Amino acid sequence: MDKLNCTLTAVKNLRSNVRQCFEHLADGTDGEGVEESRNKFVHDFQEKFGAINSQLREVEQLINGLQVPPTAYSLGNTAYLAQETSQDRQALYPQLVNSYKWIDKVHDHSFLAFNNLNQNTLRRSYNYCSQKRPRLPFSSFNNDPDHIDKLLSEINTPPHTSYRVFRPFGSNAVAIVTISNVLKAAIVFKGVLIEWVTVKGYDEPLEQDDLWAESRYEVFRKVQEHAHSAMLHFFSPTLPDLAVKSYVTWLNSHIKLFLEPCKRCSKYIANGLPPTWRDLRTLEPFHEECRNC
Amino acid sequence: MGVTVLQPYPMPEGKSGAHIIDYLGKRLLSLGATHAGQFLVDCETFISTPQPHNGTPGRAVHVLHNSEYPASTFSIIDSGTGKQVSLVADSIFDLLMLKMTNTFTSKKQTKIESRGARFEYGDFVIKLGSVTMMEHFKGILIEIEYKSCMILAYCWEMIREMLQGFLNINVGKDFPTYFATQTIMTAMGQQQLHAKHNDLYEPTDTVKQYLEQFTNYRKHVSMHGSLSGTSGIQQPVHMSSSPVMGAAGGLVLIRS
Repeated sequence: MDKLNCTLTAVKNLRSNVRQCFEHLADGTDGEGVEESRNKFVHDFQEKFGAINSQLREVEQLINGLQVPPTAYSLGNTAYLAQETSQDRQALYPQLVNSYKWIDKVHDHSFLAFNNLNQNTLRRSYNYCSQKRPRLPFSSFNNDPDHIDKLLSEINTPPHTSYRVFRPFGSNAVAIVTISNVLKAAIVFKGVLIEWVTVKGYDEPLEQDDLWAESRYEVFRKVQEHAHSAMLHFFSPTLPDLAVKSYVTWLNSHIKLFLEPCKRCSKYIANGLPPTWRDLRTLEPFHEECRNC
Repeated sequence: MGVTVLQPYPMPEGKSGAHIIDYLGKRLLSLGATHAGQFLVDCETFISTPQPHNGTPGRAVHVLHNSEYPASTFSIIDSGTGKQVSLVADSIFDLLMLKMTNTFTSKKQTKIESRGARFEYGDFVIKLGSVTMMEHFKGILIEIEYKSCMILAYCWEMIREMLQGFLNINVGKDFPTYFATQTIMTAMGQQQLHAKHNDLYEPTDTVKQYLEQFTNYRKHVSMHGSLSGTSGIQQPVHMSSSPVMGAAGGLVLIRS
């Protein structure tokens, strides 16, 4: 056993010396005092080469001195590795297939998630958008106050909708929209971007000093929820005017909130609520439950 | 406050009122509605005295209370020619009527009320009222209110679907008679068609609908000839000046 250990150590030493020698060769000379350093380099190399030769000889001697062991060495559990080679018995195959499937799935999912997150339009920071397009002026934040007045007056409003614009927060506007006798909505602007929307019933007070309280009616709380998701959908910092116009058009479709049955189930009431969701493109009414099926 | 519609429930043969109320209440609960207290609407009618001699019907004042508006007293003056003037006052108005016993006397026999359980389902408030006149059961009146809408024309289809859903009866597609288009006189003295279902709804409209239904029940009674004019000295009547929301609200009669 000692002999075997000595041999293994000798092999290790040999390997490390060979490695050092090659490292030395790879480093080369330092390039200064050409003749002198060359001589030194060659001398060093010869020394190392001599050491390798002597060690090689030593290893050979040790190997010759080794004897075939009389009994097999005990190698612990690793010994069994060689004994069972049939794939069926090791039960490795199903596990391998499973892990392969897992890795495949993880890959697929992460790919989809990556794509989705990349297209995430709900991200509202301007910096993110400006990465795609080369630096636009921050027009959507710092707009002159007249612009929003002009914008709202430009929207061709149906006769049943009225707008009241005021500025409780400095230059940022708040527009209170009254849609027929159905609902009131307060749209809080930041520049031209829509920052918040509150929806209330026609008979509820909605004044500038109380823009944040929720409606006491379930249906308008639900409409407000949908209004927020639509606000994120229509959000577009690069074309803020268009975003506001499309949003207001969408909001105006609530004039028939109680009048139109759901497009899918043709019923008026589901869970005690009328069809509160308006499709973002077609403006068709749907119940919240019906819109995704 | 929103649009309210009153719907009389046709009484099937051989079933008691309590049984039907119980049945409808169970249907509402299984629909997902929650029980939310009691309600009471009462109506007392005062007739002007002395009665006119030329055969025209006397002027009547109907005084109504609605537990949904506990601080108010609703009164409707009926000239007998179909013209109605309505007034909403504080509940102290009841005491004022007591002072007017010389000109208006109360027809006690016609004191009528509708009371029962109140249910809420989303923004709907549904009241199952059993109508009683002088402690006699008269029928069932279903009140349904859609709190978030102010105009009947907008939400009539919704209310209709809801009514048909839990009452299991057919409700006509037309607006209820109270909201039907009527001819009115404008301030300029011209006749004009007026679509009441496009008006903004007011609490008085609820009360007027109740009066309309109560009058129907009374007519039904008067056909049996059980009504006679009040005669003799009127007993003083004391009315509670603060109707309470719930079953105890309304009028308390104490005879001296």
